[in-house]
Amino acid sequence: MPSLADKYELLGCIQCGRCTAGCPVSLRTYLNVRKVVYDGLIGPAPKGAHERPEAWSCTTCATCTERCPKGVKPMELLIGLRGSSIERGKVSPTIRDALESTFKHGNPWGRGREKRTEWADELDVPVAGDGDAVPLLWYVGCTPAYDPRCQDVARALVRLYEAAGVGYSTLGAAESCCGNEVKRMGEEGLFELLVEGNREAFASHSIDAVVTSSPHCMNTLLNEYGGVADEVVHYSQYLAGLLDEGKLAFKGSVERKVTYHDPCFLGKHNAIFDEPRSVIERISGVEFEDLDRSRERALCCEGGGGRMWVEAEDERGERLADTRVKDAVELGADTLVTACPFCLLTLEDAVKTSGCEGKIEILDLAELAAMAL
Amino acid sequence: MNDVLVLAEHLNGELKDVTFEMLAHARGVADASGTKVAAVLLGSGVGDLAERLAQQADEVLVRDHDGFAHYNSAVYQPVLADVIRGREPSVVMIGHTAFGVDLAPSLAVALDAPLASDVIDLAVEGSDLVGTRQTYGGKVNERVGFGGAAISLVTVRPAAFAPEEASRGGSVVALDTEVPDEPAFRRFVEYVEAAAGEVDITKSDVVIAIGRGIKEEENMPLITGLAELLGGVVACSRPVVDAGWLPKDRQVGSSGKTVKPKLYVAIGVSGQFQHVAGMKSAETIVAINKDPKAPIFQAAHYGIVGDLMKVVPALTEKITELRA
Amino acid sequence: MNIVVCVKQVPDTAEADVRIASDGSGIEMEGLPLQINESDNYALEEALLIKEDRDGEVTVITLGPDSSEEVLRMCMAKGATEAVRLADPAFDGGDAWATANALAKAIGGMEYDLVLTGCMASDDGMTQVGVTLAEMLGVPHATYVTEMEIGDGAVTVGRELEGGLLEKLEIKLPAVVTIQTGINEPRYASIMGIAKAAKRDIDTKAASDLGLDTAEAGKAGSKTTLLGLDYPPAGEGAEILDGTPAEASTKLADVLKEKGFA
Repeated sequence: MPSLADKYELLGCIQCGRCTAGCPVSLRTYLNVRKVVYDGLIGPAPKGAHERPEAWSCTTCATCTERCPKGVKPMELLIGLRGSSIERGKVSPTIRDALESTFKHGNPWGRGREKRTEWADELDVPVAGDGDAVPLLWYVGCTPAYDPRCQDVARALVRLYEAAGVGYSTLGAAESCCGNEVKRMGEEGLFELLVEGNREAFASHSIDAVVTSSPHCMNTLLNEYGGVADEVVHYSQYLAGLLDEGKLAFKGSVERKVTYHDPCFLGKHNAIFDEPRSVIERISGVEFEDLDRSRERALCCEGGGGRMWVEAEDERGERLADTRVKDAVELGADTLVTACPFCLLTLEDAVKTSGCEGKIEILDLAELAAMAL
Repeated sequence: MNDVLVLAEHLNGELKDVTFEMLAHARGVADASGTKVAAVLLGSGVGDLAERLAQQADEVLVRDHDGFAHYNSAVYQPVLADVIRGREPSVVMIGHTAFGVDLAPSLAVALDAPLASDVIDLAVEGSDLVGTRQTYGGKVNERVGFGGAAISLVTVRPAAFAPEEASRGGSVVALDTEVPDEPAFRRFVEYVEAAAGEVDITKSDVVIAIGRGIKEEENMPLITGLAELLGGVVACSRPVVDAGWLPKDRQVGSSGKTVKPKLYVAIGVSGQFQHVAGMKSAETIVAINKDPKAPIFQAAHYGIVGDLMKVVPALTEKITELRA
Repeated sequence: MNIVVCVKQVPDTAEADVRIASDGSGIEMEGLPLQINESDNYALEEALLIKEDRDGEVTVITLGPDSSEEVLRMCMAKGATEAVRLADPAFDGGDAWATANALAKAIGGMEYDLVLTGCMASDDGMTQVGVTLAEMLGVPHATYVTEMEIGDGAVTVGRELEGGLLEKLEIKLPAVVTIQTGINEPRYASIMGIAKAAKRDIDTKAASDLGLDTAEAGKAGSKTTLLGLDYPPAGEGAEILDGTPAEASTKLADVLKEKGFA
């Protein structure tokens, strides 16, 4: 067994602490990234996240890895520790259930595969038949397909596609989890299985371009699948393109004071900052203002990296989503827009927990855009 | 056909409901085949229970002995096997309870007899007995035959049959079957009552029950909010206790509490019979479930097919409006 | 301490529309995900916890089709040391008696201190195999166990009775104990672990290896016969309040108001 120091190339670490200083959860959890790297170097090296439960506090926002002046990848170390726990079977029941469900049903939400298309029952959403060529595939994703709140986002996207008159198709119930969160929970074996299955499904349809609802799906399909299509984009990029080309136009007006929360997997991970803003700014009536901590400096909602399935334990301080919502209220916004199902769920929850009910509404970008049709 | 023999189940001096349910159904089977209903009662100081049973059975066979002070299948089984061999009933009915499940299969082996467990119906078709049982969580019924065996065994699902009032005045026959000492290989130690929690769900007029459909512990406040609004308590089905989200004393069902509130709202509860057994007598039962085929809709008076994450907030809002 | 755990692969039908196969012998299995029977998973975990505490072997055994080897591999990935599959077309169509008989023949030839099974199979709901097996092996048993403590040559168990009552028993080993869900928290089996277990041997036994005649196995060796399958008759059921969540909720709120609850 290689040591953690060798496996994650920790020897370059100079213990400067930039990782921890930038870590959005360092203030509210017991995760101290520098200390975990230190223990990996000097020992005693933890055997897994079951010995360092704070490794589950990481949202895999990648700030630490990006800020490291020596090219060390602390986030990979944290995911590796989770992986060691998974190899030993020592994970919380919520993570176990999400992983088992993904293996069994192709989604982490414990729902049957045949229910995957239920959200579209009353809609006319094309599903690719066996071997059909699909120039444009909309990869719906598990959370928009199953979560009742996020299903509204999927339905809004259908209205936008229809308004733009674009030809697209979905994989229907044959679509399986992309594995972005599975990989970050440290279940590399399951991730590989999902990649294999999805690559096969994609290959059978000679797909040119993929549009995803979630930045998480886009991230892994684009960066970790080794090329499944010529183009993999998030719907915010796709909508911005349709607007640029004049295929989509906003005829309506939405009188709202809007601000925008950058999803980590769209922004920090993939540097997509402008497209969502350009969609918002094209809606007449919208008054847009950025939050102070935005773009590369955006605060994380804490929903990523498998955190949707981690039971919060031993944590302290205000949840970042609460801070985010309060910041938006303070800015004077009546609507906080985001473009990610996990952000949508955590922020909406935070409206209640931060006592901001009635002061602000959380919308997905697709919902806001559909209002302007 | 020979007699229908019903094993009386009792605890702490009280006969279990399933005993009367079996006796009622046994009567139908006996009438259909021109035979009699006999009850067998093993216990210690159970004379009054025998009289009670004699109102329902043609004959009550009683073995009153210290060795039956508490249930032990290792003591019951050889005695029952003796009684059954002597009487040769065509069918023996035992409750599908923790007691029956522990006893019936070993009795079947001792008698080399077929056993159909957890039956919800037992009928005579021609000269054959046919049992009906549920499989796949109640989604498919299975009809089971006994291969023409001289003696057949069934365990009967509690609440599958309605009990009947009767005053038959059957005879009570004392048996002198030998009762073995409690064997060293299986010793009764004690009964332990579940620790009483702060909330007694059996005392509330309104019970809001959640099941597997709640999915995550984080969704619990939604339910507590509705319960508070309706002045009720939160109860649950087994998976919620297994997940550790609510204590055991909040569990409704055969292995938990039996409740008879004025209003029972089952949210995300599929309605397995073990759960329904504990709430079927509620005055008004409302079910909210996303699966239109969930068995809970069979037990409920009113149902909403939908996602609880959407329905419960909407319902909470409507009730709040009505109150305002 | 050597423990044998009996496990069964079952279809997950919780969310599925179950369809009866055209030949009436069972249900359509296509599209149904397969998994370890829920209470068997808890039985396995209990065995692994005992093994971690006091050493010994954990042997998992199943009677089932080729696909059920997936369950055995998952058990090995979690820590089971040996796996046995009773595999023979002669076992097809067996009832609880025939299944227990085959298991008894196989387990009877092993060195064991304790046999654990789940208390009930979620597919057929039979609740019989554990106790039948104990009686055939001639060892004591306890069912619906939610607490277990290994003592000296004996095990003290808590049995879950109706109404939240627990019955404590002391049982001499060797014994068969059927495990109820909730007794522990089953661990996760990683896909990598399952893949590694795929390289390990599964001891496959046919009816003849167990000294069983074809007349003693499967359908021929059963005491009961399956006469047919039906869908349960639709009862009267609930009055469904339809519409959007808001509409349905309005209707329900009105009903509750009328009845004096809102």
